[in-house]
Order: sequence, then C-alpha cells, then structure tokens
Amino acid sequence: MENIIETPKLALTKKDFESDRMVKWCPGCGDHAILKAVENVFPELGIPKENFVVVSGIGCSSRFPYYMNTYGVHGIHGRAAALATGVKLANPELSVWMITGDGDSMAIGGNHFIHVVRRNPDINILLFNNKIYGLTKGQFSPTSPEGSKTKTSPQGTYEAPFNPGELVIGAHGKFFARVVDTNIKMMSQVFTEAAKHKGTSVVEILENCVIFNNQIHALITSRDTKDENQLFLEAGEPMIFGKERDKGIVLRGTNLEVVKIGENGITEKDILVHDPHTEDSGIHVMLASMMPPEFPAALGVIRSVKSHTFEELVWNSVEHEKKTSKLKNVDDLLHTGNTWVKQ
Amino acid sequence: MGELKLMKGNEALAEAAIRAGADAYFGYPITPQSEVIEYLMSEKPEERTGMVVLQAESEVASINMLYGAGGTGKKVMTSSSSPGISLMQEGLSYIAGAEIPCVVANVVRGGPGLGDIQPAQSDYFQAVKGGGHGDYRLIVLAPSSVQEMSDFVPLSFDLAFKYRTPVMIISDGLIGQMMEKVELFDQMDRLTDEEVIEKYPWATNGKPVGKERRILTSLDLDPHKLEKHNHHLQAKYREIEEKEVLSETLHCDDAEYIMVAYGSSARIAQKTIQLAREEGIKVGLIRPITLWPYPKKEIEKYVQKGIKGFLSVEMSMGQMVEDIRLVVEGRTKVEHFGRVGGVIHSPEEVLEALKQKLIGG
Repeated sequence: MENIIETPKLALTKKDFESDRMVKWCPGCGDHAILKAVENVFPELGIPKENFVVVSGIGCSSRFPYYMNTYGVHGIHGRAAALATGVKLANPELSVWMITGDGDSMAIGGNHFIHVVRRNPDINILLFNNKIYGLTKGQFSPTSPEGSKTKTSPQGTYEAPFNPGELVIGAHGKFFARVVDTNIKMMSQVFTEAAKHKGTSVVEILENCVIFNNQIHALITSRDTKDENQLFLEAGEPMIFGKERDKGIVLRGTNLEVVKIGENGITEKDILVHDPHTEDSGIHVMLASMMPPEFPAALGVIRSVKSHTFEELVWNSVEHEKKTSKLKNVDDLLHTGNTWVKQ
Repeated sequence: MGELKLMKGNEALAEAAIRAGADAYFGYPITPQSEVIEYLMSEKPEERTGMVVLQAESEVASINMLYGAGGTGKKVMTSSSSPGISLMQEGLSYIAGAEIPCVVANVVRGGPGLGDIQPAQSDYFQAVKGGGHGDYRLIVLAPSSVQEMSDFVPLSFDLAFKYRTPVMIISDGLIGQMMEKVELFDQMDRLTDEEVIEKYPWATNGKPVGKERRILTSLDLDPHKLEKHNHHLQAKYREIEEKEVLSETLHCDDAEYIMVAYGSSARIAQKTIQLAREEGIKVGLIRPITLWPYPKKEIEKYVQKGIKGFLSVEMSMGQMVEDIRLVVEGRTKVEHFGRVGGVIHSPEEVLEALKQKLIGG
C-alpha cells in the first residue's frame, strides 16, 4: 500500500548527538568525559533523536544543552528540576535529561530537587558534584567538605555538607547511583541503567574541577588509591573491593563495617550482598554515606526501586476523569453548580 | 585626607560596608559582583569590626536574612547582579511593607533572563518603579565612579534608617569591575546592642518589661488599616521626594541640548560633551544621582529655560527616558539613545545620536 510511511530504523551513532558548538569548558575539566559518556549512551537507547530534551539550570555543567545535538532548554539557576517536570508532564514521550551541579541542585535548587525526587517523574538527573562553584570562580558549595578553604571561606567553612545520595533517599527517591568522571565505561553503563529506570533517576558524578578544586576526589579516583577506595556495586554480588579483592562490607549491629576476607574467620559468605531493588532504604542510605578514608565510596547503582511515575499517575487520573465524569463538554460544565436556566 | 587606594568598584563597596559600621552582609556569588563577598571574606571583618559575613544558599535566602537581621535594628546589606536581584523582589516588597532599613546593591548586567555578564542599565524600571508587588518605593542611588561606590554606602545606610526603608545602590558591571583611585572614609563605629535598643524602638531587639511586643509584618487583613498603612508609606515617600533628591549638572548653563545620564553612561556622556563642544554644539549633562526620587525639578528648570531637547543616554532600550518625558510633558523633544545586551556605547556614538535625533531631526 503506497500511503504507508515506513518508519526509518534507528541507526543512531555518537556522531548524531555531537553538537557543532565549540565546547567551552576548561581543558582537563571532568565535564568533557561526562559529555563523551552521554554521547555514547544516547544512540544506544532506542529513542528517536528528536525525543531527547536536555534541560539545565546555571553553572558550568549547565552549558550541556549547547553541546548535545538534541533539543535543549537552558533554564533558571536551581529551577531545572521544575522545568524538567514541566517538560515531562506535558509530553511524557520525551526522554528528559536534567544536567545540574552541586551548586545548582543542592543550594539554590535544593527545594525543587527534593520535590522532583519525591514526585518521581521519569526524568534522568546527572548531578556533577565537584564540591565548588566553578562558574563564579571558586566559592564553596553545599557539598564542600567542612573546613574547605575557598574564596568565600578563606578561614575554612563551618557548614555541614550535603551528601546528595542521602538527600535523594531521604526524599523517597527510587533511583540513586554514583560514578566517577575518570571512568567513561562506568559512566556509560550507569547512565544506561538510569535511562532505563522508570521514574526520577539521580546519578551523582564525582567530578574534578581542575581549576578551583583540583583533586577533590583524588582518594577515590587516583590511580594509586582508587582500588582501595572504590566499591563498585552490582545487584546480587557481594560488596567486595580492594586491589586484591580481599576487603568487603559487613553489617555489624546497625552499622556497616569494612572487613578483610580471611581474617578473624571472615569468609566471602559473610559479606553483604547488594540488593538495589529492596524497598527498604536502610542499607542504601548507609552505602551512599560511606566515604574514604574510613570506607570505600560506593559506586554504581545504589538504589533502584520500581514505582509508578508521576506522569503515569497524573495522566491515568486525567483519563479516568474523562471516562467517568458526567461532564463531557463545556456546556455540561457551565450547567453545573450554581447555574440555572431562565424560564 | 582619607586613605587612598586603587580598587575595583565592587571592592570599594565592600570596604565601605565594613567602614560604615555594617553589622552583617549576606550574599550569593554571581558575576560580575562576586568580588563583594570575596573581598569581605578576605578582609576578616569579624576581626576588624565584628561584622558578620555569610554566603547564603541563594539570593532568596540573602534577602530574607536581611529581613531578619535588619528587623533587629542592625545595619545590614546584600549585593547581587540582575538575575539575583530579580529573585529578591518578593523580599524587597515585604521589607518595604514592614519598613525595615537595609541596603541592596545591584551590579547590573545584560538581560533579560540570564543575559550575559557585561554591563547594562536595563534594571532601571525594576529598581525605580518597584520590581516587587504593591505600592512601595526604593530609594535608588546610582554611583558613576568607584569613589561613589564607597561614598554611597554610608549615605544609603543613613537614608535607610532615617526613613525605615530599603535603599538600592544601582551600579553596573563597568563600575563594579573597573579600578579607580578611591579616597576611603574613616572607620565608623558599629552601634552596641544597647544603642540599637535605645535608637530603634520598632526593632525586634528584645522585649523590655512594660513595653509592647513587636511583630514586624507587612500583613494587615483589615483593608481599612492596610489602606491607612499605605497612606503612611506614601507620606514617607513624598517626604523623601521633597528632601532627598540628588543630581549633578555639567555645562548646562549655556547648553542648547541636554543629555540625561546616570552611572557609567554619565561618564561616557562627559566625553561626548567635550567632542560636541569642539564642534561648537552646546550640550550639557544632567546626572541623576538618586534615580528615585527623580530630579524632576532640575529637568523642569531647563525646560523652563527653553532647552531645545533632551537625550536620555542609558544602556537600555529606553527606560529612564520615560521619567524625563513625564516631566517634560511634550514641551520639548525627548529622545533616547543607548546600546544594550552588555554593549557599551562610545562617546562618538552618543554624539552621532545627539546630532541625528535632536539637532538634525
């Protein structure tokens, strides 16, 4: 039949998503690697190119929409979460990616951030955490460790920092993962998981700001120390780490603890097995809280729990009302309540 | 003579806050004014005068910290640049309604929206006509040099406390970033808590036995009471209009044409005067220093003298020009010229506009 339009097969490549804009991030910035990872992931998702929307707020990370050859919205500082919610609710067909940083999402946007997580629309949030304000050139952020000496804290900060994972899980988040900007393969794998998850998925990227906060994640990312300080979590696998793969995490009483396999009668069987899918967020929040030097940093998908998305619930409710309401048109509406017909 | 220093406008503003005896500064980084908070932090004002400096989580937080701290009768200040000032508008409306003294500096950049980080004067309407809701006014001071970035801080605090009203210092990315010689005024003392209690009976500074409990609010659900409060505010604004207008004139005595410009545009216009007079064009400058209250009488004076036309020179699409027209009421020509979006006009461009729009036209 001649009037059938053949749907073209999706054969997208990395090239399709590369923008022709000059990338204006500092040489050596972690943003470049994250961009590469996202360019790797997008063509593999089976989503038509025109259905991607990249949304951002303000900050270095928020230049991202310019550098992806997709639709994009550059919004207001801290408000990308609300903006992304709007995009997704209005058109649930779109694959919505919100790009944000620790300043944008944890400081000025802290409010919108916890509310998008709580509502759970199916959007993907990439949170670049370099623990500093880079775009305004080096002031402390809400994730800067206590005592951080920056341009606006020359004597060191005296504020307790946020841990984004704790905030996500505390806000009833269903998906939280963490990656490092030094591992494009890990980023690509986890971004794919985040994209597949139905609901708000938050991926924290431990990112280096080479100019204003260089080596802030060095313990976790540098060649010499990463093996002892990275625990890559996989569903159903024991939480084992270390260069010799001889260290693990156990639950002792109500706390997590690092143990050495083979010492004090500890065997692999004693090591906690990761279950990202359990509703109970207890272990998940403890995993998100782990930080060197006492613990390895938990990487990979820490929590991934199935749930209804916000747009499903909203649109189901709209459909339900359409079916069951006595009101079928504007006339019906005008003749309800305190209205009457003049005789 | 006071201490002389070469400083950026933003630094002069910050130094002046310490020297004026400010009790607290709350702010959030934004280009092109982040040097204000950075300078304050590096100066350790907690050691110099006991002043508190805090980096808030947003401009919304800053302005509300101002509402709280200002409400205790302390000298408080914040600064930001255009998008951040937009975020503060709700707070400014409440603060004006609740009659809390405070100082807010806006180092204006190109807009609308995120715009850019280059100088602009396109926040005039927001500052002068009230960016927040309700019938309120801000006293608005427009420095045109680094010296005035310093001098206008104590002046702003004086006005804020005299009238229990928020005062805005409206500068721009040019004045904020440019370095000039500045003569710093001597350190003023911060008031003690006892002095604050003595001087400011309206503040939430503790309830002495036998005194009324104070609640700072802009709310009154009784419409008649709220109307009365509005009349009270307006009476205060009329008094400010009567007493606090500041402006400067340059070469207006023999002028046939007058440029009206504030801030950086006034600096550029000075050069235009020189260029114009070399060509025999008699042009002068009125520089409003207070944008509100506006120097209406000064403009009226030259209308009366039969000036052939006014050119409003401002880095906007034409905002202040409306206030000139309100005074002139069609009696002579009033035109506007200005580059926007962070582009700064050259003195030659201004002269060209003067010729085309006023002289030739």
